[in-house]
Amino acid sequence: MLQNYLTVLIFIGAGIAIGAILIVVGLLLAPHRPDDEKDSPYECGFEPFDDSRLRFDIRYYLVAILFIIFDLEIAFLFPWAVSLQKIGLTGLFAMAVFLAILIVGFIYEWKRGAMEWE
Amino acid sequence: MSPGAITYQALFYLFAAGIVFSGLRVITARNPVHSALFLVLALVNAAILWVQMGAEFLGIILVLVYVGAVMVMFLFVVMMLDINAATMRKGMTRYAPLGLIISGLIAAEIGWALWGHYLGIANTPHTAVAPAGISNTEELGRALYTHYIYVFEIAAVILLLGIISAIVLTLRWRPNTRRQDINQQLRVHKTSDHMRLVDLRDNSRGRKES
Amino acid sequence: MQHFAGYFVSAWGAIPAWVQYLLFTLGKILAIAVPVILSVAYLTYAERKVIGYMQSRIGPNRVGFRGLLQPFADVIKLMMKEVVFPANANRYLFFIAPVLSMMPAIAAWVVVPFFPNGSAANVNAGLLLILALTSLGIYGIIISGWASNSKYAFLGAMRSAAQMVAYEIAMGFAIVGVLMAAQTLNLGQIIQHQSGAFWHWYFIPLAPLVVVYFVSAVAETNRLPFDVAEGESEIVAGFHVEYSGMAFAVFFLAEYANMILVSALASIMFFGGWLSPFEGIPYIGAPSAGWLFLKIGILLFLMLWFRATFPRYRYDQIMRLGWKVFIPVTLVWIFVEGAFLIVHLPPWFS
Repeated sequence: MLQNYLTVLIFIGAGIAIGAILIVVGLLLAPHRPDDEKDSPYECGFEPFDDSRLRFDIRYYLVAILFIIFDLEIAFLFPWAVSLQKIGLTGLFAMAVFLAILIVGFIYEWKRGAMEWE
Repeated sequence: MSPGAITYQALFYLFAAGIVFSGLRVITARNPVHSALFLVLALVNAAILWVQMGAEFLGIILVLVYVGAVMVMFLFVVMMLDINAATMRKGMTRYAPLGLIISGLIAAEIGWALWGHYLGIANTPHTAVAPAGISNTEELGRALYTHYIYVFEIAAVILLLGIISAIVLTLRWRPNTRRQDINQQLRVHKTSDHMRLVDLRDNSRGRKES
Repeated sequence: MQHFAGYFVSAWGAIPAWVQYLLFTLGKILAIAVPVILSVAYLTYAERKVIGYMQSRIGPNRVGFRGLLQPFADVIKLMMKEVVFPANANRYLFFIAPVLSMMPAIAAWVVVPFFPNGSAANVNAGLLLILALTSLGIYGIIISGWASNSKYAFLGAMRSAAQMVAYEIAMGFAIVGVLMAAQTLNLGQIIQHQSGAFWHWYFIPLAPLVVVYFVSAVAETNRLPFDVAEGESEIVAGFHVEYSGMAFAVFFLAEYANMILVSALASIMFFGGWLSPFEGIPYIGAPSAGWLFLKIGILLFLMLWFRATFPRYRYDQIMRLGWKVFIPVTLVWIFVEGAFLIVHLPPWFS
């Protein structure tokens, strides 16, 4: 098993290397003539005004938090789905209760309009 | 030592050093975004170590949930709040004692656990290694949904609590935005639902058509 | 000749096992990465040709026979272009972002089986590994948006991140449906569970999940009609607006490599991977990598077709589709599948 994961690790390294090498090749081959106008952030021809790191709608945090919760649900569903035949009806029932509780949350989310995007 | 064992050890020390290094950078980096990114690196290193110890499911879930979801939220928060490092450092002296106490407690707990383990006091039974051919994930599923079923349902309640509190804390309706209400759009049946007929008096005298 | 072959065999045997392993792995990397990059090159060509003909144009036809060398011309052009580092940008992160978005698109192929027992690493938790790796792709986008120090890039990155997040959930739930049917996370075994002719494939009992998965995959790769992240008519290209030259090319490469990857996953999970649709009939019924490539090709063609046909969604519509349509559909179908499992619905759940 571990040797397989070593292969995975080497592939991850290769993935990083391929991306990095391509950019480095680009940096080496291409000209490099920095210029104030060229390097200024792109704002459709306007002079950049105020800080580019803006404050954002709180809605994005909410999306991120809900994403974590649903991601955890998926994390719970994966081992369940894989061992379903071994755990039989007990397992099926356990997950039904689990999902029922979370569907309550989902309905609440829906009714409160947390998934509404303005 | 066989080449396999050497590789194993070398990789272990490499990624363990990776955790320590990125952990240090988390608290020393000046920019909070960099701190968050080093925390990501630390978690990835930890996940690799877990996989190395045979916990493939947990290692990958660590990447999926913590790196793929929790840290994304951290980054959202840190990037969007645009925290100024200087103002944050102001409270340093005030919070330092509390921080020291908490880190001291954690260090003591870890020390205690390790102490017990190495002196054989805690006598923790070694978990049996799963026989070859049975996947880690399946084994975990078998235990979690039968033996630990109540704990599992409590997890659902905690997640529900998470959903509700997140919504209660952050959801604000802004009154002046227009949004599409599909139900209202679909409810339109008769002409009179979306159209008002206005009687116009005929004031074009003498130029009558038809 | 015989003598030479024998010589090589004995020379190979004399190499220590770990060197053999390293050489072998290097060979696998080349055998996967080179075709992936070449297919990306020709996918861009195919895209321009297909959309061209759909819009009564002929697409690129100047470089080489019928424009067949066009992708290489594009790559050489991009290589010669300056990589502009914007002022006040964070140079390291600016460099790392495209690399991070490229990594999962290459690394995830390690567990994809191309033919029976034909994956670079036969990992038990293969599907989970792919899900975890692709969930890292979001970092390339967030970091590039933040590191470029540009409003447009940051806005595009945030929109794109929120969108990817919503569809990742739908994708995850759809995958759970496949796991329930196959009872394993190993991609090779998932295919084997679908053996039999095409009516044994999972796209029939999991029909709603196929739609959810594939549409989410399109959204996840930021393709039209879900490409508000790029939205050239509104926010001028989103998170990679400040990228030029090869740095941009890497983002581009990653997007197309991801398209191929999600098509491969869809063909493996729902359409039997390397299995032949005519299993049981001699000759054409044999499993082969060709079938997998054919299925990937058909799904990729669908993605190009989407681009030529559908107008872009509005952002609130995208979020609504992800959260309010796909997640409920997948949840309902998980319960339906539970019922299938109880009654042992043949031929998929027997």
